[in-house]
Amino acid sequence: MADLLTLRSFEIESVEKKGKDWILDIDILPNRAHDCASHRGVGREIAAILNYKMKSVDYKLKYIKEKITDFLKIRVTDNILCSRYTARMLINVKVASSPSWIVERLEVCGLRSINNVVDICNYVMLETGQPLHAFDFDKLGGNKVKNIIVRKAEKEEKITSLDDQKFDLDEDILLIADDEKPLCIAGIKGGQGPEVDKSTKKIVLEAANFDYLTIRRTSKKLKLVTDASWRFEREPDADLTKEAIDMAASLIQQVTGAGILSGLIDVYSKTDKDKKIALNPNYAKNLLGIEIKDKEIKHILENLGFKSSHRGDILEVVIPSWRKDINIQEDLIEEIGRLYGLEKIPGRMPLVALISPQKNDYLIYRDKTKDILLGLGFCEAYNRSLVSEREVSLGRKKSIELANPISQEQKYLRTYLMPSLVSNLIENKKRVGDIRMFELGRVFEKIQKDKKQTTKEQKSLAGIISLENTEKQTPFYELKGGLDLLFNKLGITDCWYDDAISVKSSIPGFYQPAKRAEIKTGEDVVGWLGEINKEILDNYKIYTEAAGFELDFEKLVRLASEEKVYIALSKYPSVVRDISILVGKDIKVAQVLNIINRAGGKLVQDVDLFDMYKDEENFEGRKSLAFHVVYQSKNRTLTDKEVNKLHSQVIKALEKEGWEVRKQ
Amino acid sequence: MLNKLKQDAFKKIEEAKTLKEMEAFYRQYLGRKGELSRFLRSLGDFPEKERKEKGKLANQIKEELSKLIEKKKKEFQTSGFKVQSEDKLDITAPGLKLPQGHLHPMTLVQRKVEEIFQGMGFLVADGPEIETEYYNFNALNIPQNHPARDLWDTFWLKDAPLLLRTHTSPVQVRYMEKHSPALRIIVPGRCFRHEATDTTHEAVFHQVEGLMVDKDVSVGNFKAVIEGFLKQFFGPDTKMRLRPSYFPFVEPGFEIDIKRKQGDWLELMGAGMVHPNVFKSVGYKANRWQGFAFGFGLERLTMIKYGIDNIRLFFDNDLRFLKQF
Repeated sequence: MADLLTLRSFEIESVEKKGKDWILDIDILPNRAHDCASHRGVGREIAAILNYKMKSVDYKLKYIKEKITDFLKIRVTDNILCSRYTARMLINVKVASSPSWIVERLEVCGLRSINNVVDICNYVMLETGQPLHAFDFDKLGGNKVKNIIVRKAEKEEKITSLDDQKFDLDEDILLIADDEKPLCIAGIKGGQGPEVDKSTKKIVLEAANFDYLTIRRTSKKLKLVTDASWRFEREPDADLTKEAIDMAASLIQQVTGAGILSGLIDVYSKTDKDKKIALNPNYAKNLLGIEIKDKEIKHILENLGFKSSHRGDILEVVIPSWRKDINIQEDLIEEIGRLYGLEKIPGRMPLVALISPQKNDYLIYRDKTKDILLGLGFCEAYNRSLVSEREVSLGRKKSIELANPISQEQKYLRTYLMPSLVSNLIENKKRVGDIRMFELGRVFEKIQKDKKQTTKEQKSLAGIISLENTEKQTPFYELKGGLDLLFNKLGITDCWYDDAISVKSSIPGFYQPAKRAEIKTGEDVVGWLGEINKEILDNYKIYTEAAGFELDFEKLVRLASEEKVYIALSKYPSVVRDISILVGKDIKVAQVLNIINRAGGKLVQDVDLFDMYKDEENFEGRKSLAFHVVYQSKNRTLTDKEVNKLHSQVIKALEKEGWEVRKQ
Repeated sequence: MLNKLKQDAFKKIEEAKTLKEMEAFYRQYLGRKGELSRFLRSLGDFPEKERKEKGKLANQIKEELSKLIEKKKKEFQTSGFKVQSEDKLDITAPGLKLPQGHLHPMTLVQRKVEEIFQGMGFLVADGPEIETEYYNFNALNIPQNHPARDLWDTFWLKDAPLLLRTHTSPVQVRYMEKHSPALRIIVPGRCFRHEATDTTHEAVFHQVEGLMVDKDVSVGNFKAVIEGFLKQFFGPDTKMRLRPSYFPFVEPGFEIDIKRKQGDWLELMGAGMVHPNVFKSVGYKANRWQGFAFGFGLERLTMIKYGIDNIRLFFDNDLRFLKQF
């Protein structure tokens, strides 16, 4: 049965044996809590699935002469907030402990046994889904005829609950009160005073229906959730009150021998009418994808308690008031589908046009970029988008703050990827040597657009390297080489590195000020590259060098192209000459390259820096740069004489700058 | 005597295993003080009759041995048979550790998911992570104050009436607003829920949602498409089942479970037929279109595929973990 319920109605979380009986833990779907959060509700589901009939129960109440109306009056001041209030009275009640069968069933369902009257109220609630409440009649305020009033609380009114909690009330909260004071927070919790205890002889039973939104709001406001409030929040049917109260009265009579006063007080403005929904059987078959006869549809609906009749091609279905979740024909189609059996619906591939979806440039470059970095030895990181205040204070962007963070460590949306990568580095440094990591993710900031403050999110690509051994290569230059390769593979040809150390630079503060560069196309900044600020690393006792880069990935994708143009290979051999020069420490390689290219002209096919080093002692504060200069023509073999002439031109140009060209 | 010499010599030459041994052999027999050389010099001591015969034989042996020595020397050289322990390569020593890159396991899974759905003609769509209440809830038939909102605990921004999307469904709404049916898309993306975190729950996580809208799309179509996906992702023997469930933006609504090796069912994704109110929100004509939508957690799928038991590993970025994929 558990499997059947799982397949047709609700998931059964567990099935446990207890004595001669079984306990099923059922995950009632949120939209069925109003009618199925009870044994009777689930029973009705099972009846629908198995084609059984639900028995109606006759509670066989034995009345005494006295009339309830001679003792009790109910006044409901707002019949929208309280759509129904049903009351009964019993006398000669012997309050004692409950019979074991009630105690056991309550325990299985997680409820403690208190006394027979309260237990029976809870038992009826579990079975029917209707919460009940019992008052000690003698403890109510008033004279011979007592009043119970359903009203809104007044400003500054207070109540102390059964379990000694004090609550401040306001005018939005609904109360059950007598002539003198509040008796309960309606539908949520009983107050101290009129509760049923060992001395109680006369009781008033209450079964009512309250507006779910009011209960929800009050429950949230007072931070009070009870078995009763939980059920009322989910809109049980107003029709349940009479049945529940009769069941409770009958049980109390059975168990305690009490007498039931004749008459029932029922303040009820019937607003729940049965709904009528037009169902198109062909649409149902089409939406589900099944061949099913109209007769079978009618049968399934009948099992659920929905009567239907044909009106031409349409089936007019009557939805009883206790199914508040059925409002449109798709709701009915779900009922039909699930009771027919979802497993019986044949899988059939849809008939569609044979067109490939347009592939997205962004996806192509995203995958390509990740694969290139993978090939360069990088591991991919995924970092959370929510970070601490410290991380967003390291840059110049305005960060976005959350109103309800789960912790101080995750209060802001990240403005850069780099800080998280630095954390990844710090964590991993404890265990490994060389580290190469990257991340492609979104960053966020507050910006001004059209004079308004708005949020901006964009995709960013960042990477970090730390090497154990920096003899052969430093992290900065390895990253630079990697980026050049990346730009190359993405077809981006005009990126250059500018060491803009101006105050206006957009580079955030986690890079070493003298060891960083802006990466640009033209004057447009695409990102930056730099050595990670040593102070940050020192704080974590990391003394090796690390370098990182971060790029605007969306800009990169716009610049990227897949177009490759073939350039014919030269048929003629190239001649390589080496030049080694000494330049001042501050002279940039780019400057030297410019001079060489300009002096050598078109016939300089390539200039390749193959060595760079500083020697404080011997070079007097200068550094040595060594280049291979490759001379080649597309249409003839260059003679030695030509090459020599060119080369001496280049040397002259370099010497003109005041640089020493070292003799080979 | 010569014959014994011959026998010994040929035996010894076979035993020579190194160039050094070859050289020693040469010295022993053919060198200046070698046995054969000495014998040839000593021919004069023999009677004239025997001299010619013995001389001939000795020279024959000398020639044969010389040839053999040459041959063996060549062998040693070409087969690199210069076997001395310093020259040998320890082929069991590890190769140079070149830097090896690894993609995050969720990237690998997302790629596979995209590949499978693209193969079925689904387009991959994307949208903002910061969303409006309208796109995240209202347009999806989740009105304000409705208890259904309790199913999604939301992060709100402090200075703006915006939230962090709790699912990637808003992108479906945005896409439908800009495109008329027929359409089929998947939306992988990052989402946020204000939830307590543990080994299977994170506040920041990833989802993949899918949507297909056309004239006659049915539950049967959905079953076939999703079964196609599951079989391609987990293997052709994968078993799945559909059971009833509830989400405000679909009706009928289902849950899809797959059967594990252990025989029990594992909940994998929520799905259903797009609710008419959602079609209404995006401006589609009423009663004209049908569609299905589904959504699953990418972490969950990755954990199932690789047998990972702790969701926090995805954000720890421990290289020992990342290097396993």
